[in-house]
Amino acid sequence: MTALRFVIAAAALLTSAPALAQQQGATVVAVPPLSTPDDKPTSAGSTASLAWQASLLIASDLKSAPELMPIEPDQKDFYSYPEVTAPTYSKWRARHAKLLVTGFVQGRPDGRVTFGCYIYDVQKGREVDRSGFVAAPEEWRRAAHKCSGLAYKAATGAPGIFDTRIAYVAESGVGDARVRRLAIMDSDGFDHRFLTKGEAIVLTPRLSPKAARIAYVSFSTGTPQVRLLDVASGDQRPLLPGDAMTFAPRFSPDGSQIVFSMTIAGNSDIYIVGADGGAPRRLTTAPGIDTDASFSPDGSQILFESDRSGNQQLYIMNADGSNEHRVSFGTGAHAAAEWSPDGDRIAFTWSGGGALRIGVMNIDGSDERVLTGGPSDEGPSWAPSGRDIVFQRAVGRRRSLYRISLAGGEPQQIVTPQDASDPDWSGPMD
Amino acid sequence: MTLASSAAVAQLRMPHIVQRGGPAQRGPVAAPLLPGIDGLRADFMARTGSANVYFATGSAVIGAPARATLAAQAQWLLGHPEVVVRVEGYGDPLDTRDHALALGAARAQDVRDYLVLMGVPAAQLSAASFGKERPGPGRTVTVLVR
Repeated sequence: MTALRFVIAAAALLTSAPALAQQQGATVVAVPPLSTPDDKPTSAGSTASLAWQASLLIASDLKSAPELMPIEPDQKDFYSYPEVTAPTYSKWRARHAKLLVTGFVQGRPDGRVTFGCYIYDVQKGREVDRSGFVAAPEEWRRAAHKCSGLAYKAATGAPGIFDTRIAYVAESGVGDARVRRLAIMDSDGFDHRFLTKGEAIVLTPRLSPKAARIAYVSFSTGTPQVRLLDVASGDQRPLLPGDAMTFAPRFSPDGSQIVFSMTIAGNSDIYIVGADGGAPRRLTTAPGIDTDASFSPDGSQILFESDRSGNQQLYIMNADGSNEHRVSFGTGAHAAAEWSPDGDRIAFTWSGGGALRIGVMNIDGSDERVLTGGPSDEGPSWAPSGRDIVFQRAVGRRRSLYRISLAGGEPQQIVTPQDASDPDWSGPMD
Repeated sequence: MTLASSAAVAQLRMPHIVQRGGPAQRGPVAAPLLPGIDGLRADFMARTGSANVYFATGSAVIGAPARATLAAQAQWLLGHPEVVVRVEGYGDPLDTRDHALALGAARAQDVRDYLVLMGVPAAQLSAASFGKERPGPGRTVTVLVR
């Protein structure tokens, strides 16, 4: 990648900036271009080029967060390597910045690079955080995302979600020839990989806590069955032996167990089994359809949907199946729910008036809000910050992924190479 | 439900064809059945009226019109013990993904159980769910003759 291309990209960013309305209370964060002690070639471009690309990506990450407003990198704000740890605060005070991000990219003899990232409180004139990452040059995006997370945390107290992954189902083709493949990508759409070949219908991928494994549903045997896939190797195996219909899997927060649904003689209930195998234990016994279970963040409770009352509603029980109680009481049906990472709220698919829409409410059912307009939005998954949700939207025959911030605003499409459905947002990567 | 694709399915599943009762007929049925599967399917449609059974939204309850269709299907199946049937259940297109899978399974099972109640041998029937994953007729169970 040439420096010229990035100057052009930077110009595009700068001309779009005036179109953004000034956000009330947004923290201004200065992101002048990252430095390099010595411009050296790497397998992903020179260190100066990596530093510039990282600066652009950090600014782009921070711009996507409604709480922050970055001052974008401009070559005229160039600073040298020694100034990384000795910034000129007065310059940034004059630009009304609250926070300043500086850093560097340095080549190493082993071919990898060191990223340094420093966050400064401009008003107080002192450093508030720093971190360093050693990475392959090709992983510069992850290092930049981590630096963005550092700035975000300094401004808001919450961890950033820029270094996270989304697993989903990629779809192409029409009708009976529709091909579906498991895929995984960074939450900004980069570093995209297909994980299955498309020989069978696949559904509902769910990442393990560190995104090392995916539990998903496959029709490869003709019956929907849960399988486990290792993300790094691509190896997969069935969750259970036998030919019972199993679906709707989710990992426990510590990754040791999988809660799922199994259908026996037409009756669907919730079961739990060790992620490495064993005998499944049944948790629900009511007639009707019990499905779509998800754990509380402390692993002690399970949220699920049941139509035992006549239509789909949400219930919570202890992880051993005791104390089942209903938690959704608003109008319409409530389904496909996921417990928020902070444990306080539920995101769900709301069904009413012939439409499917995304909603959130507290875990006791209070403060219920519908967030999206539909008419065909479903399958919400929380970002680990608890402030963003990714979901699937169908428009006509097309399906795609959208993310919405609980701070407000319209859902934004996440660009994928093909149609997309069933997203699952990873936790923090490390 | 094109006949061409179903014929391919029938070819793959030849070994599953079941012989009921009668004197010693062992092993897979002789080849002449295969070209006849299209004819059998056409005959099935003509005599029963429909391979599809419809359900109310969100329900797996077999209503009166469905019972009439299933009674006709059961009668036909009793007369053709050599044919194997797969009952495919579908969810509602406006349903959420997992609930649609479960509902399709409940519908397929209810139809299968009803046919067994009407005397069709259980070994002649299998049930499967596609939820809302295939462009099926939606809210119905399709009884496919193989």
